[in-house]
Amino acid sequence: MARFIVRRSISTVVVLIAISIVTFLIFEAIPNGDPAARLAGRTSTPETVAAIRHTWGFDKPIYDQYLLTMKNVFTGKVISYTQQVNVLDQIKEGLPATLSLAIGAGIIWLFAGILLGVVAAARAGGFTDRALTAVAMIGVSTPVFLLGALMLYFLAYKLSWFPNGGYVPLTSNPGEWLYHMILPWLALSALFIGIYSRVLRSNVLDTMSEDFVRTARAKGLTERRILFRHVLRNSVIPIAALWGLDFAAVVGGGAILTESVFNLHGVGQYAAQSIGALDVPPVLVIVMFGSFFVVLLSAVTDVVMAFLDPRIKLL
Amino acid sequence: MRRKATTTTGVAAIACLAAVGIAACGSSAASTKEGGTATVLMGTAPDFLDPQEGYTTQAAEADWISYTPLLTYAHASGQGGTKLIPGLAQDLPQVSKDGKTYTVTLRKGLVYSDGKAVKASDFPATIERAIKLNWGGKSFFTNYIVGASAYDTGKSSSISGITTDDTTGQITIHLTQPYGAFDNVIAFPAAGLVPASTPKTNLSNNPPPGVGPYMITNVSPNRGWTMVKNPHFASLGIPNIPNGHLDTIKVNITSNTQSEAQQVLEDQADAFDPGDTLPASLLPQIQSKASGRFSRETIPSTFYFFLNTRTAPFNNPKARQAVNYALDRRAFVRLASGFLKPECYFLPDGITGHPTGNCPYGSKDGAPDLAKAQQLVKQAGLEGTPVTVWGQTRAPRKQYVEYYTSVLNKIGFKATPKIISDSVYFPTIGNAKTGAQTGFADWLQDFPNPSDFYLLMNAKSIQPVNNENFSNVNDPHVQSELAKLNAVPATKLDSVKGEWQSLDQYTAKQAYQAVYGSEELPKFLSTRIDFGSAVFHPLYLNDWSTWQLTG
Amino acid sequence: MSTELLPQLARRPASPQDSPRPVAGAGPYTLAFRRLRRDRVSLAFGAVFLVITAMCLAAPLYAHHIAHTGPADNHVTDTVRIGGQTRDVVSPDGLPIGPTWHGRFFLGADQNGRDIAVRLLYGGRNSLEIGFVATAITMILATLTGGVAGYFRGPVDSVLARVLDLIWAFPVVLLGIALGTSLALGGINLGLFTLSGNSLLVPAVIIGFVYIPYVAKPVRGQVLALREREFVDAARLQGLGTLRILWSEVLPNLASTLIVFVPLMIANAILLEAGLSYLGAGVQPPNPSWGTMIADGIALLPSAIHLTLVPGAMLVLAVLGINVFGDGVRDALDPHSPIRLGH
Repeated sequence: MARFIVRRSISTVVVLIAISIVTFLIFEAIPNGDPAARLAGRTSTPETVAAIRHTWGFDKPIYDQYLLTMKNVFTGKVISYTQQVNVLDQIKEGLPATLSLAIGAGIIWLFAGILLGVVAAARAGGFTDRALTAVAMIGVSTPVFLLGALMLYFLAYKLSWFPNGGYVPLTSNPGEWLYHMILPWLALSALFIGIYSRVLRSNVLDTMSEDFVRTARAKGLTERRILFRHVLRNSVIPIAALWGLDFAAVVGGGAILTESVFNLHGVGQYAAQSIGALDVPPVLVIVMFGSFFVVLLSAVTDVVMAFLDPRIKLL
Repeated sequence: MRRKATTTTGVAAIACLAAVGIAACGSSAASTKEGGTATVLMGTAPDFLDPQEGYTTQAAEADWISYTPLLTYAHASGQGGTKLIPGLAQDLPQVSKDGKTYTVTLRKGLVYSDGKAVKASDFPATIERAIKLNWGGKSFFTNYIVGASAYDTGKSSSISGITTDDTTGQITIHLTQPYGAFDNVIAFPAAGLVPASTPKTNLSNNPPPGVGPYMITNVSPNRGWTMVKNPHFASLGIPNIPNGHLDTIKVNITSNTQSEAQQVLEDQADAFDPGDTLPASLLPQIQSKASGRFSRETIPSTFYFFLNTRTAPFNNPKARQAVNYALDRRAFVRLASGFLKPECYFLPDGITGHPTGNCPYGSKDGAPDLAKAQQLVKQAGLEGTPVTVWGQTRAPRKQYVEYYTSVLNKIGFKATPKIISDSVYFPTIGNAKTGAQTGFADWLQDFPNPSDFYLLMNAKSIQPVNNENFSNVNDPHVQSELAKLNAVPATKLDSVKGEWQSLDQYTAKQAYQAVYGSEELPKFLSTRIDFGSAVFHPLYLNDWSTWQLTG
Repeated sequence: MSTELLPQLARRPASPQDSPRPVAGAGPYTLAFRRLRRDRVSLAFGAVFLVITAMCLAAPLYAHHIAHTGPADNHVTDTVRIGGQTRDVVSPDGLPIGPTWHGRFFLGADQNGRDIAVRLLYGGRNSLEIGFVATAITMILATLTGGVAGYFRGPVDSVLARVLDLIWAFPVVLLGIALGTSLALGGINLGLFTLSGNSLLVPAVIIGFVYIPYVAKPVRGQVLALREREFVDAARLQGLGTLRILWSEVLPNLASTLIVFVPLMIANAILLEAGLSYLGAGVQPPNPSWGTMIADGIALLPSAIHLTLVPGAMLVLAVLGINVFGDGVRDALDPHSPIRLGH
């Protein structure tokens, strides 16, 4: 276990460094992306632009700039190009929305996915199974922003059953918070419910044909007992692994499209706006935090998996 | 300004009594009350709330009623709002005969919103702060005030050209050359006085004290802030600046213009920021349900496509004329959902010098002459020339460029659009290395003076980065006219109206640009705000200091 | 297998079709093909996808003969005659005409007065082209990296596996947007070949690149296992070269995995392109694509719903088609494969 932690920590650090370098390079390689000209404003003179270039260190060689930016990230003093505000403060403001979205949707898609998968497996071959599969396939084939936009149009604009996007902090008004989060949760979960229900269905069907189930039946256990006590436990394990990675991906940046459509002002939306504005500091920070989260959660998932399934060895 | 507001209400009340039953009567003649709160929704956050940094209309709306400069503008709608009046100064400046020395005296007894006294020496400190913080318009200071450029480059620790006397309150400003629009320069909100001790760092999250009817508090970056009444202002007795009726104004940044408009339509919020585009889809509803609280206001602005005279094909005048013949300005009006007034001259309506004659290349309100345009392109042998048309992602500007590209293709060019993010747009096309042939450009007045617009056609403004003279106009006739006209003081503008008109007609004939219109902005309020008395200022849009709640 | 109490839970109801008929020389692919032929639902959806592709390929014909306009032709101030009435293509307030159900503007117009049906077909061409090219890039590069890493192991594997992890850890959409935005501005310039920022290949390359780990990791896993199998040892003992072994022993065994991935990657690529275009980092104007059309439509949503519904429906149908067909292919190739569409 200790070896595992040490090895994973080292590879995490390496990955993060590599990612930060790659992100930095992606933006440095663009022509016309000169941030000094942008910072100086429209009617500025070449002298002003040069002065700004110097103050911000854009005239230094690229590795110096990289090291300077990294230093700023770790001391918490990163300033964005567009509005010259502290990036970490902005991220902290957007974090509650992103976490609300990810955690809420994660819970919904986990339970709904398992439920629908079990029902479909129990009624395999029948109409319910086919209907559920059809719904799942549509969920998997519809882009989340299209689903979100149509939900807003029909349910919020036309019927006024839900608010037209926006985020209300949990701390200020829990009722409103919930009211605003329902549609984004549903839109984001649709894709994953589709995937999870089908994976679970096939896992259940597979497990039902394994030896230990035959033994359990021979022993006289009821099908329901078999299903919930034995089969489900085994079938859920791969789902747990999947969930860990998907949840990490959503927090790490997969929520961008949902946040943008519903205007939640979360970290994902902030990242999308910053990228569009070629504002490197926020993008760098968000990408690094996102990747860190992904790598961390994948390690945690591996540990949980090893715990759940003794056949798995931790590498 | 209270007097003027009452007069308007009074006149409106009489008109209503005389013509009973007119729908418009409902709001303006109704009683209004003092105090209360209003909520403003903004789709785009101000670039900076710090007065010495802000350069967008969203910033100006907040800054000009919180930081009064030595001179300011009348709080009136339309042309009336372009009149210069004394702000913190006792009177308009005394200008020396050679036009290079301006003298004003500070009003007595002025205090900031924190109660501290205002001193004459705060003025040069404010200008220095704007320069140090790289305010977008700082070239107006560094180009004209003696010693400002030296301060900017660090060669001097203060601006030598401004001398003050704190005991008498006198302020003297020396210019490097006569500049007629200098009165307008001192009236910028960036020249709104702040205490000399204010740190020279970005204070947008916690703006410094100022002199004005309101102050900016409770700033949450990218999310909003609150304007509250400055308790020290009313007692200063500055004439012609309203003390403000509302107690607080909450500003929320929303970024979803659809919901922004809907909230105002349903009276859930009080104002739709004029800097945002009203969604076309809601217009029919707004026009039917809210006609008494919605209007389109023209602001002096020029929307045009620059035609780079330094590269092919637009170094050939025939190509430029062809573009001007081919553009259908009615299309732009539609793409703007009606928020555009067709124009063909560079100086817009509302600025002295706007020509009133016929457009040189076909009527601005009618169908274009495509055949003539195609002929010109053929004659010039430019058929098939590849042209990259630059544009911004923001609607409807992206749509303008897509339409323009299709027109260029119709008349014989091989045009492709290149749409890039708003935040990198102007630095990109303003960079000589890009070699941009043509593309979207706009100019909203910095101040109501034609010399502001002609900055964009002045050969002296051409620079390798952050160029604004995108067409690279370098015309000796233009230069000689500008040398004369730029020196005329702002207060004597009317005397040279004819000359400005001739110059503008000349540049239109040269087809240096392809102008298509002036922007109209929405004045769209809830039923809670008295629409008639709410001023829509030509420079600063919604004048929150004139708002009052309906009774 | 005893299945008394819950017969539905049996893996496969015993049926004559499932036992392979003893036909002389019927290899696994022939059997798979036969199984696929019997899967009517998958075939139907596959046909839907083909029909959509065919329609999109016929875009120039439609544009020329029926709609009489191209995808980039603006008609902002034009009028159109429908059933005796002359109507504005775009109203003076900027609202475009809805579906006319006639040759011109069959599905209506957009803000710039462009024919939606024409743009839909041309846009489909672009979206599908990006989908196919991206998938090709992913499959080829993933097979190479995964195969090489799995077969050679050791330091080569370490490096390649870490690189794959790196790309994988980068949040997919963020990586896509970042690359899309910066490359749209500057294009790709690698000395040997240049792509302008407007080129369709830019989003195709980005999407293809971003999905490499998705395929490469399973491939690597499978190759790691395969290389220990007897037939590989036998080939090595026979003295066959590495390249020959990879080509004739390893690759055929990978084939069914790879074939199963192809439809899935096409679907993913089309969806990612739509997402990137929505955020402005995908296909650049004036090239239409389903994603850009949906994005433009969402901006005008309440009053002109056809601008969103039309490209949206087309996209969902196409992706659904290939997803269901892909499932059928998976079922046909590997009867023991767990995921099935219900019968």
